[in-house]
Order: sequence, then structure tokens, then C-alpha cells
Amino acid sequence: MFELVIFFFFAAVAVIGALTVVLHPNQVVGAISLVLSFFALAVMYVLLGAPFMAALQVIIYAGAIMVLFLFVIMLLNVERDEIVVSRPVQRFLGYTAGSAFGLTVSYYLLKAAVIEAPEGSIFLSDARSVGMRLFEAYIFPFEMVSILLLAAIVGALLLTQRDVRRDATGGGETV
Amino acid sequence: MNGIDEIPASWFLILSAILFSIGVIGVLTRKNGITIFMSIEIMINAVNLTFITYAREWASTHGLIFVFFIMAIAAAEAAIGLAIFIALFRHRETIDVDEANLMHW
Amino acid sequence: MAFDTTDIVLTVVKIAFVLAITLSITPVMVWVERRGSALIQDRPGPNRVGPFGLLQSLADALKFILKEDVLPAQAHRWLYTLAPVFGLIPAVVTISVVPFARSFVIPEMNVFGRTWFEGGRIFEPIIADVNIGILLIFALASLGVYGMALAGWSSNNKYSLFGGIRASAQMISYELALTLAAIGALMGAGSLRLTEVVYRQTGYFVLFGIDWLRIPAWNIFPMFLGFIVFYVATFAETNRLPFDFAEAEAELVAGYHTEYSSMKFAMFFMAEYMAMGTISALTATLFLGGWDIPWYDEPATFVGFLLSGLAFLIKVSFLLFVFVWVRWTLPRLKYDYLMKIGWKVFLPMAILNILIVAILIAFRWI
Repeated sequence: MFELVIFFFFAAVAVIGALTVVLHPNQVVGAISLVLSFFALAVMYVLLGAPFMAALQVIIYAGAIMVLFLFVIMLLNVERDEIVVSRPVQRFLGYTAGSAFGLTVSYYLLKAAVIEAPEGSIFLSDARSVGMRLFEAYIFPFEMVSILLLAAIVGALLLTQRDVRRDATGGGETV
Repeated sequence: MNGIDEIPASWFLILSAILFSIGVIGVLTRKNGITIFMSIEIMINAVNLTFITYAREWASTHGLIFVFFIMAIAAAEAAIGLAIFIALFRHRETIDVDEANLMHW
Repeated sequence: MAFDTTDIVLTVVKIAFVLAITLSITPVMVWVERRGSALIQDRPGPNRVGPFGLLQSLADALKFILKEDVLPAQAHRWLYTLAPVFGLIPAVVTISVVPFARSFVIPEMNVFGRTWFEGGRIFEPIIADVNIGILLIFALASLGVYGMALAGWSSNNKYSLFGGIRASAQMISYELALTLAAIGALMGAGSLRLTEVVYRQTGYFVLFGIDWLRIPAWNIFPMFLGFIVFYVATFAETNRLPFDFAEAEAELVAGYHTEYSSMKFAMFFMAEYMAMGTISALTATLFLGGWDIPWYDEPATFVGFLLSGLAFLIKVSFLLFVFVWVRWTLPRLKYDYLMKIGWKVFLPMAILNILIVAILIAFRWI
């Protein structure tokens, strides 16, 4: 009973937060409601018995990625409210297609999603078992992701750097 | 905490489907680059929720590992994407995606 | 996990106790800060209200309540009001996973004609002993930045905006060093649970095989590098001098809270001091042995509980005093210098610390 209340409350928070991102003209409001939405999703992960993933969700999404978004929005400081809107036909098609897609998927999930858990297995979601799995079966993808992150760091630096001017001492200084 | 069996897994999946379609609507209807980007993040998170739901249902850690990788890649993607928007803003003074039409035929 | 009435009552008592301590950090620290700064600068400081000016904080609080609450005309009304709350909540909640004393057995007793604690019951002096303990702290602490960033943006003031941007960049950068430095302590304990991190530190290191030459097994000794990185990063995380670039009154008027007044400003003030309290408690737990009293084995009784709680309080108070001491001693750095040392000095040092700890564990030296 208690879990049901929590589920519906945070499901509503997640959906309303996501809707605010899509519908609200102000990007900062959008970013904050997205943080709330991600936080609600972290609660969902706890309900699903994966508190470790919930902590990761909050640390990575709410604590790092969304701060980066907010930082860029504040740095660019474009108009507070976005005036340019898309053409009516585009909006109509977007809403219709999106809703139709969501309804269809929900319908088939209700009708056809059959889940049969294997007998007698326990869902291990603590940091130790996730880490063991990560460093045994998935060690190669793990290393690949670290290279990808390195490439992303270098790429981001390269994209955002301005002219490099050499000063008298010979050291490079980004201006 | 054993009461989680009260909530059917399909409810989590439906929540995920709703969030995903909201993200789709955002990508299709908005012009602001950063808002589009945030809509993509919503879709990624909807997929994460699906992964974790199935991971619990099948009592398997593999789904969690996938979410782990998705989070890492989303971080890389956010860094690169926002860098692109900063570069775009420097050149065009806007992050409206319709203005970035140099490659448009 | 089944809850009975006694559990719920005990939890409520713990929450009330911890909340009372956390809330009283702010007035006490305001007094310590004002008198401490006066001591360092060789002047009397506030000494009119109450003995030694002890009631000065109450007078300040009263003043805050009576001040006019100004809402700037061009501010974003909702976010401007919400920002202090966003700053305050993470500061209050994070203390819940820190163990503050040794656990003890409550003996069976007869009060009000009813038998309480049948057959004895173990009292764990921690509000929520969750198995992701420290991750929860980092998750909630990382949300603290939203208060400052939002306050800066929603005030619609260029100095506030600068403060908000600086706060977000600074806190992301130093969170990395903070987390990596804490990993060393977690590796030593082999658990994310803070109670186990503390229990791991209650023993002794025997030096050079000489039996009487032993030091407490606190993490600060094998992980000194990690402690340095962690402690410096806490200054950046709580926006204290020499890293208070989000306010930087010489450059940005008052930074992110320039436009704030009355109780909203007081909330930022409280959030700052509570965050200091929480992070000092975390530093003591991770590196200074938590509630462990050196060269003394605390008994699992009420006396042991009190003594260990007192030891924890002394450690946290000392760390808090260092915050004040440093603030009135060191000048503010340059902003680019802050970023430079964050990424080029502290991050590599934190990674080096992980390497050292890994080697120590591999050779079974800790």
C-alpha cells in the first residue's frame, strides 16, 4: 500500500517534470524540472530494489550532467523566454505522432509483456555484485567506455577553445 | 522492503513508455537546441528505467551493467553536445537549430 | 525488516536529536566565527549581548526575521523563492547516514509499569544505516549546487549570475577530487557503509613490529594524501575562503545572494554552516576514525556511547574551528588558479592516493 502511494506520487512527478521540459518556454525552469524528474526516477530504482543504481542516477544525472546543462544555459544567457516556436503543422504532427507512439507502446505492454522470472534466482543489485560483473564479464566494454570518455573530454576542449595566443614566455594561454 | 512485488512490472514499463513519448514530442516540436537535448536525456532515462525493470524481473545484473554504460555514454554525449552548442552560439549568436543550416541543401 | 513501536520511537528520538544538533550548528558557528575573527584580528568582537556575546546569534536571527523581504522586480519569482530551499535541504538531509557514536545495548528496563526493550536491544546511533551510505551523501551533496546556481540566475543581476556560474563550475570540479579522495577510505573498509568504515578504524597499527609503538588505525595515517585532497576540496565545496568565489565580496558585491534579504538570506546562511557541519562530520568519519577514542577501547554500554559521542563531537568541532581559522588567515585565490589546482594538482593527487591505498591493501599492510 505504502509503495503504491510512493509509486504514483513519484510517477506523477517524473511525468510532470518531463512535460514541463517539453512545454515550458523557459530553459532554466525546464532544466530544474528535469532534475526533479530524474530524482523521481531514482526513487523508482529504489522501488525496483536497485538503490545503488538510484545513487548513481542522482550523482551522474542530477549532480553532474544537469549542472553542466544549467551552466551552459546560464553561460549563453539567451533570451529568458523562447519566442520562436515551430510551425503549427509541425507541432500538430509532433504531438500526434508522439502520443500515438506512447499509446501504442503502452497498449502492447499491457497486453503482451509477459515476464517470467527464472525460478529461485535472487536479484543482486548491490555495489559489490555490480562491480564483480563489471570487472569480469564486461571488462572490455568498460575499458572502451573509458577511452570514449577521454575522447569526449578532448573533443569538448577542442570544440570550445578560442584562439590560442602565445605569450612572451612561450606558454600557451587560451584567451 | 519486500512489498515491491505489489507493483506490477508493467506499470514501470508504461511509465517508461510515457516518458519516452514525451521525449519524442520534445524533439519533434521544439526549436531550441538545449531543450531538444534535454528531451533526448528524457528518452535515455526512460530506456534506463526499462532496463532496470527487466533486470529485476529476470533477476539479472546484466541490465544494471547496461544502465551503467548508458550513464557513462550519456555523460560523454552531454559534454560533446553542450560543447557543440557553445561553439554554435559563438558563431551564430543563437542555439535555434533551424539557424544551423550551413549543411542544408 | 519489520518495524515495531520501539524501533519507530527510537528512530524519531534519533532524528530529533540529530536535527537539534544540526540546527544549532548555525548560531554556535556564527558566534565562533565572529569571536574567532576578532581574536585573530586582535579586537574584542561582539561582546554586548549576553556573557561573551553568546546571545549575539539570537539577536542576529531576530534581526533577520524583522527585516523586509525584498523581491527584485525583474527576478524570476518562483525560482527566486525556491533557491534557498534547494540549498538548505541537501545540507540537512546528508547528516542522516553518518554514525555519531558507538552502538550500545539498551538493557531491559521497567518504566511506567511496562517492560521496555525486552531482552536488551542494540541501539545504532545512526539515522539510516543504508548500504549505499556514502554514495547517498555524495548524491545529495551534489544537489547543493542548485541552490547557488538558481539564486544567481533568478535574481537577474549580473553579479549574482557570475556568482552562480562560478559556483556551479567550482563545485563540479572539486566534487571529482572529493569523491576520488574518499574512495581510498572506502577501499580500506571494503564497504560503502559508513558504520563499517568507522569500525575498520577502531584498531591499531603496530609500527615496526614493536608492540608498544602503536597508533590508532585511522585512515589519515595511510591515506594522508587523500586526507589533504579531501579536506581542501571541502573548502571549495562549502564555498569558504580561500575558495569563496561564489560570493567574493571584493569582486561580486555578495555573489549569488546579492539580491537576497531577510529570511531567504538567513536560509543561505544556515545552509552554508550546516554544509560545513555535515562535511566536517564526514571528514571525521572517513579519515579521523569517526567516534573512535585513540588508545581506549570503548565498552558497549551507555558510558561508552557517551564518551564516543563526545570524541566525535570534539573532532567535528576542531574541524569546524579550522574552517574559521583558515578563513581569517588566508587571502582569496584567483579564480583561474582555483580551477588550475583543482584539475591539475588535486585530481592527480587523489588518483595517486587510490594507487597507494591499492598497493597497501595488496601487501596487506592496512
